[in-house]
Amino acid sequence: MGVAMLPALSRAAGVAAPFALAVVIGAIVLAATGHEPLGVYGLMASEAFGGERRIAATLTAATPLLLTGLAAAVAFRSGIFNVGAEGCFYLGGMVAAVLGFALGDWPSVLLIPVALVGAAIVGGLWLVGPGVLRARLGVDEVVTTLMLNFIAVDLTSWLVNGPLLARGSANSATAPIAVGAELPRLLPPTTLHLGFVISLALVALYGLWSRFTVAGFRSRIVGLNARFSRAVGIHVSSTFLRMMVLSGLIGGLAGGIHALGLVHRFVAGFSPGYGFTGIAIALLGRNSALGIILAAIVFGALSSAGATMQLFSDVPIEIVEIMQGAVMIFAVAKFGFGQARGARA
Amino acid sequence: MMDRARVAIRLGARKVTRRFGPVVANDQIDLAVAPGTIHAIVGGNGAGKSTLMRILQGVDQPDEGSVILDDAPVRLTGPADAFARGIGMVHQEFMLAPNLTLLENLILAREPVGRGGLIDWRVAQAEADRLAALAGVALDWRVKVADAPVHQRQILEILRLLYRGADVLILDEPTAVLAPAQVTELIALMRRLKAEGRTILFISHKLDEVMSVADVITVIRVGRVVATTTPAQTDKAQLAQLMVGEAVAMAKVAPYSRPPGAPLFSARGLVARDGRGLKRLGPIDLDIFAGEIVGIAGVAGNGQDELVASAAGLGAIAEGAISFGGRDFTRAPASRFRAAGISYLSADRSEEGLCLTASISDNFIAGREQESPFSRGGFLRLKMINAGAENALAKLSVRYGRLTDAVRSLSGGNQQRVAIARELERGPRLLVAAQPTRGVDIVGIAFIHEQIAAFRDRGGAVLLVSEELEEILTLSDRIVGLYGGQVTGQLLRSEASVEKVGRLMLGQKAA
Repeated sequence: MGVAMLPALSRAAGVAAPFALAVVIGAIVLAATGHEPLGVYGLMASEAFGGERRIAATLTAATPLLLTGLAAAVAFRSGIFNVGAEGCFYLGGMVAAVLGFALGDWPSVLLIPVALVGAAIVGGLWLVGPGVLRARLGVDEVVTTLMLNFIAVDLTSWLVNGPLLARGSANSATAPIAVGAELPRLLPPTTLHLGFVISLALVALYGLWSRFTVAGFRSRIVGLNARFSRAVGIHVSSTFLRMMVLSGLIGGLAGGIHALGLVHRFVAGFSPGYGFTGIAIALLGRNSALGIILAAIVFGALSSAGATMQLFSDVPIEIVEIMQGAVMIFAVAKFGFGQARGARA
Repeated sequence: MMDRARVAIRLGARKVTRRFGPVVANDQIDLAVAPGTIHAIVGGNGAGKSTLMRILQGVDQPDEGSVILDDAPVRLTGPADAFARGIGMVHQEFMLAPNLTLLENLILAREPVGRGGLIDWRVAQAEADRLAALAGVALDWRVKVADAPVHQRQILEILRLLYRGADVLILDEPTAVLAPAQVTELIALMRRLKAEGRTILFISHKLDEVMSVADVITVIRVGRVVATTTPAQTDKAQLAQLMVGEAVAMAKVAPYSRPPGAPLFSARGLVARDGRGLKRLGPIDLDIFAGEIVGIAGVAGNGQDELVASAAGLGAIAEGAISFGGRDFTRAPASRFRAAGISYLSADRSEEGLCLTASISDNFIAGREQESPFSRGGFLRLKMINAGAENALAKLSVRYGRLTDAVRSLSGGNQQRVAIARELERGPRLLVAAQPTRGVDIVGIAFIHEQIAAFRDRGGAVLLVSEELEEILTLSDRIVGLYGGQVTGQLLRSEASVEKVGRLMLGQKAA
């Protein structure tokens, strides 16, 4: 009784609050450094959404975040705090790039799916270990998946400096993928590519899956209360394992799409933390499909506006990073607040 | 503080009204708790007791009326404010840190600080010993809360209030989780605290306790005070009448005849351990036939939990064998127990019996989501789910708003009905029912008893575990005593009496 009379409204407010707070913090920082907050925000908005090209750049930047956010959400909703999407992203990117040049003479319709599926499979396999450890022995997945990130990043970094280093290249990079492996551009000359549509479709599919399928139902109930799930006969440990691997598959696919769609090769430092940003996106979006899409676009807008803004103003790019960081902090704070309230009411 | 003996009302309410939308949870409630007395509040589920307690704690504010402290109206800003004025509360769900020891929990947030800003453990221990002596209890203060039995946690909660200087203790259904012997202990503790001059306000469903310990009894029904009386002026039947406002019909139970054929469920040499690996049960043999209710009588902690877990497929069996319908289930996972037709009503409704944060319909289909007609080809059929849930909940007269509401929003009795709907609608052959009416009001208890008896009459087998002797005697066709993990004997209902079952529970052979 008396609990949340307007659940939809309060949920919307809960999602918007971290952004609002981040905007306020950003404004304080801007004002303190002698900038005009409103003016800078106006510039940012127009850099992110003013015109077709800028929107395309924002959506390009949002593309990897859609999938890393999805990878996190799939795990979170079933009660698994998988923070290993970053590692999967690296491995998936590398596998897709290697397949993209090794099988370069294959036709695109075959090559692209094979490279992407390969990327996803490697990402999924990468998390089998943490999944089994969690499901069978109750080993904390935060630790195992976090540590595997370092291994994945350093393993791929070693590979592109050694066995996979492009001939004649001084940079730590593989050879570029074959043209036939590149994901088609949607709005040339912008970099927006087919990967955005694939990612968007997968997030939408997830929305349907989570609401309308038996597996989606089970993973949600397991995430809400594992002991209850076991008592009503839902396989808790196999749900944990499956959701962990699914999360890894999506993380790997995210890397593969990033390699084939935008970078067109694999390089050391392939991801500026997309896997971790995905965690913030899942938390902000409350694991809902719509929430993930909105949060990914906002983060995409921040990074694409930040990149171009400093070309045209003396606003340092760091302000964007401060805002991103603030959003993440408030997203997590909000998350904790929601948990605490949930436990009490 | 010293003048408090002279005030008439230490804690009370004057014309307190609290509305939630169209629901009036508290309607012009008057309450007067005199200092140094034990005051009981009784009322059914959803009568408005919890709302009133929240208001007295300052957690919630009345729409009209006011809280009275020391004869004067006050406006409490929150639990901390109430505490500063000497009012402390023990909630039904304990608020302790499981990974800390009893001593650490006692001093938490009020640590005695010694030299250099460090905790002075000697002072802490001395204070703990003083409180334990005052309460007349022996506690091992070094044990972690997670490892302490539930009645010790309860005592710790009370001692913590004393440690922090509360002189008014509000206890919300303090005996709901206790075994009969522990209830006696708690009541003795309450009496000692009263003798010390402290004031106790406690909420209970259990009229025996209320009659034995309370000085004054306030009865609440649908948000209103219907009577304020004393044990001398009333009796249990009258209180029950006041609480429910209507005559309570006891479940009619048909005479028992041992069902023919082989047992449906059978345990042989069953041994089970608790979460810490201690042997709690067995070896025991137990048979349950289709069409009978087997009641397990025993004081809490004598192996019932392990028996229930073994029968529901939720606990690993250390030794022995379990068979169901002629097949071996000794090593089967919980899902196979379910699939074979074993249903389970958990004693821990909020953590295991239901998923409180999920919706009513989710709770109804959980575990059956893959069955027809709730899904087809891996896709849920929301219409069928809603229709099935509506139908089943209507049969059990569950009062709810919408199927999408969280189960948390229902009263305790209605929550249990949702669990029963799920467990009985799936057409089980054996129902494992652990404390099926814990925390449910009198009308709800009779209703749940009828459901269980009707299931038996349809040919179902029931394993009933309850700490309520009355429940065991009302429902069971056969009563099996459990003491120290061993079967102490069994009685047919026709030969059972309170005295005989009491002897079984205490480990004495049935005479």
